[in-house]
Amino acid sequence: MLLSAENVSKSFGSFKAVAGAGLQVAQGEIVGLIGPNGAGKSTFFNCIAGDFAPSGGRIAFDGNDVTDAPAETHARLGIGRTFQIPATFEDMTILENVMVGAFLRCARRGEARDRALEVIEMTGLKELADQRARSLGTPGRKRLEIARVMATSPRLLLLDEALAGLTPTEVQRAIELVRAIHQSGVTIVIVEHIMEVILNLAQRVIVFNQGRIIAQGKPQDVINDEAVIEAYLGRGHGRKAKQ
Amino acid sequence: MRRGTFALSAALLLYPWLVSGTGSSAFLQDMGANVLLAAVGAAAWNIVGGYAGQISVGHAMFFGTGAYLPLLVFHHWQLPPVVGVPAGIAVSLVIAVLIGFPTLRLLGHYFSMATIAVAELLRIIVSNWDFAGAAIGVQGPATSRGWWDLIFRSAVPYYYIFLAVLALLLFVAWQMQRSRIGYYLRSIRAGERAARSLGVPVRRYKLYALMLSATFTSLAGSLYALKTGFIDPESGLGILVSVQLVITAALGGAGTLLGPLLGAVILVPLQTATNTWFGGGGTGLTYIIYGGIIVLIARFEPGGLLELWHRHITPRFNRRAQAGDAA
Repeated sequence: MLLSAENVSKSFGSFKAVAGAGLQVAQGEIVGLIGPNGAGKSTFFNCIAGDFAPSGGRIAFDGNDVTDAPAETHARLGIGRTFQIPATFEDMTILENVMVGAFLRCARRGEARDRALEVIEMTGLKELADQRARSLGTPGRKRLEIARVMATSPRLLLLDEALAGLTPTEVQRAIELVRAIHQSGVTIVIVEHIMEVILNLAQRVIVFNQGRIIAQGKPQDVINDEAVIEAYLGRGHGRKAKQ
Repeated sequence: MRRGTFALSAALLLYPWLVSGTGSSAFLQDMGANVLLAAVGAAAWNIVGGYAGQISVGHAMFFGTGAYLPLLVFHHWQLPPVVGVPAGIAVSLVIAVLIGFPTLRLLGHYFSMATIAVAELLRIIVSNWDFAGAAIGVQGPATSRGWWDLIFRSAVPYYYIFLAVLALLLFVAWQMQRSRIGYYLRSIRAGERAARSLGVPVRRYKLYALMLSATFTSLAGSLYALKTGFIDPESGLGILVSVQLVITAALGGAGTLLGPLLGAVILVPLQTATNTWFGGGGTGLTYIIYGGIIVLIARFEPGGLLELWHRHITPRFNRRAQAGDAA
């Protein structure tokens, strides 16, 4: 297994955001995490990314125990992530933003620049390379976040609602981009509310509710699961998906 | 850009000669040296406060250490003050590491407050420490015993020493800006969480920035002591020393290469003028002006004057150049 999270829990005071969740991700998979707001999926996601140290359980990446390792160690080992609210470096240009990621594997400025330009081209930001990040709209920022993390050459990419807030056309373009990244050999875990994205991309779906995993399996099986319909999708969605 | 750098370098190199024909050449040359000294201090602060965005309001601890050590080695052992310069840097580096480990964990205002607390603590300790002259302070050599005492009657030799140090500092900052450390520091300033997610070892790089900044701030303090030949707790370690470093960099443009120099070119003559026109009362007026500048920068242009220039003036030049090309 590339990623193995066992019995992970995370508490904030007396509130238990994640209660004994587990996730196994094999090399080359695309796994979707879904669930209602407040289900604990983002907290679980942040534990995997190294942003939060879990209160209990164990997380291993490619055989390395990363349970209590800081986020920079996760990045160094090959775990890359995007943020729910894009966290771009506003005063830096798009090229400079991506170069920050590229410097993880490239010591020299020239190498980092070449790597950044390569990724910028792949993510469709070439024309905007010299503009400051603050000038971008939501779709551009989301794309920039993906470019920046791809410059770190991750083996596992964690996408936290990377497609939220996009128009249907932009969502389609973003799905194509994620697919291209996957085809380049990157394993992907994606947290997403847009079911279209999950059904299009994920090979396996895990459903969170109240800090626990309530279902997992193939997307079509999961959306027909009674517990998932009850907790997250609602009756209407189940009928629509079956049609 | 190259023409601008050449013009600026030429102006700085020729300044003492350019003002030598005027009636108040000694005064203007002395003010020129003070501008460069303020620029060195602000550019040193800029490494950690500007590029890395860690707003230290306690940099007087490094400035004061750098200022005290040269005069202390003279006062106690009659050594040339310049011997104390590397000692000041070494002690400043130790302080930077000691305070950096705990304080750099803090974010934003908490870090600023912690630096104020440490600097004030140091000032109070020195004010009560007989070895360091307590509240009275310490003096350098009254007359020159040889060139190694670096005592000059004219401000011009100081001007060129300060200019050489400023050139070295700006070269280091320019190199830093273009390398991994520069990119990492700017990313830390923009968002630590995002920087960490890209593999930036945030605390280590903040500490590097603080150590580099402490080195040059200490050097600025040493240069100040060599020129004035006297230091006391207020002029070396007082909070206004720290505030002046912050304001000078912020006015010109924190996180930019030439912002601190621009800030010094504006603030030092302003401070000199208020002191000249209003005598002792001018000191108070300077602080009122500082307060006003803080409010104006924070409210209207947090990026400083260089940012204002890049946003409003540079596009006009570009449009004119394009119009010229089209014609």
